[in-house]
Amino acid sequence: MASTIITFTLNGRETEVMVKPLTTLAKALREKLGFTATKCGCYEGNCGSCTVIVNGEPVLSCILPVEEVEGQNVLTLEGITPAEGLHPLQQAFHENFATQCGFCTPGMLMISKALLDKNPHPTENEIAEALSGNLCRCTGYDPIIAAVQQVAAAPNGNQGGTHE
Amino acid sequence: MTTQAYFRPRSLVEALGLLDEHGPAMLVMAGGTLAMPLINKGVSRPEKVMGLRQAGLDYVRQVDGGVHIGAATPLSKVRADSGIPLLAEAVKNVAGWAVQNVGTAGGNLFAPPPAGDFAVALLALDAQVKISSIRRGERLVPLFEFFTGFLTNCLEPDELVVEIQVPKPVGKSVLLKYGRLYTNTPAIVSVAVSLVTENGRVRSARVALNAVGPHPFRSRQAEAALTGSLLDAVAIETASKAAAAECEPYTDPIASADYRRKMAGVFVQRALTHAAN
Repeated sequence: MASTIITFTLNGRETEVMVKPLTTLAKALREKLGFTATKCGCYEGNCGSCTVIVNGEPVLSCILPVEEVEGQNVLTLEGITPAEGLHPLQQAFHENFATQCGFCTPGMLMISKALLDKNPHPTENEIAEALSGNLCRCTGYDPIIAAVQQVAAAPNGNQGGTHE
Repeated sequence: MTTQAYFRPRSLVEALGLLDEHGPAMLVMAGGTLAMPLINKGVSRPEKVMGLRQAGLDYVRQVDGGVHIGAATPLSKVRADSGIPLLAEAVKNVAGWAVQNVGTAGGNLFAPPPAGDFAVALLALDAQVKISSIRRGERLVPLFEFFTGFLTNCLEPDELVVEIQVPKPVGKSVLLKYGRLYTNTPAIVSVAVSLVTENGRVRSARVALNAVGPHPFRSRQAEAALTGSLLDAVAIETASKAAAAECEPYTDPIASADYRRKMAGVFVQRALTHAAN
């Protein structure tokens, strides 16, 4: 089977990408479309750094064939970052020192965004459970949880995402 | 060799036809959480792959006497929609959120231990698996007969798992998973028990375990020890010892075989004690 053209909505914009069979969404994003915020850590669904949001649900883009998002809505970190300044979650991560080497941060931000969209006021345990598929080897998780809590506690704190 | 074709059938008939046409040369996946890591790493190099997400197998149906779950239903949907607390609890303990959104009920039956915990809940609830082939039609297999060994099962090359049928739970059921972390952790042992009692005596018992053998299984010795007896500390102790003895545990980076066997006994005992109270 030759390459095919897959069409989907990427951060609010109709996007086409030509791929060989079974190309992953992460590879299409990073290598074909230049959307490099999404990181690939383990390529096996363990680390969560490739987390993106498809139709409102977090999924792991490194084990998802891009054919499967045909016609769907894909949101990456580029899509929630405003043209000027930072998304409230990015701001909170910055203020709480929730990022150190930074490799897990895009995935952490996307899973946190998905959580707050569904549950604007999560408990600490709910945050921990939501983040449990995302590994961070630097921070010890506490600052990340604190950052999510800060956004959850802020008035209108969950707003500010574009292309939702 | 890279993958030459990725088939995405739009119906079960189309999926079964593709399987019949291409046979074992074609890798079948649903969510891809087991297959894609192996393909990414080059461990698996299938020439052809079939993905079942669009094949009409994504549903949770409440029916008379139970729930029917399409094989390609994401685990998160099972967690939300099955209406069976034991299944929701089992899914909660399978990987993280993003994997639950993609990994499927049917696909989890193909996960090698210590993964594949969803099956302990299904075994405890006496679930059946509907299997289909284009030439030979459908058959229903009790889940405990589905597994035949480590990474092996009763499927013929032209057959697909299409549905899991879960009878409405009766009696009390409890699921316990013991791992190193609070959540999203590989099992040292997973246990699910289901008990029906009558006047203090056990009328029927199912005791299912995973991560302590080549596949998820029911401890028939523990079940026999319980059936007909009073549900007291002595019976529970006897049943837990029987379950521990029936395990065929293995050593991996998570736990040693000895520890797994010991914990199998402890957690069967705890699960039964929970169910008794």
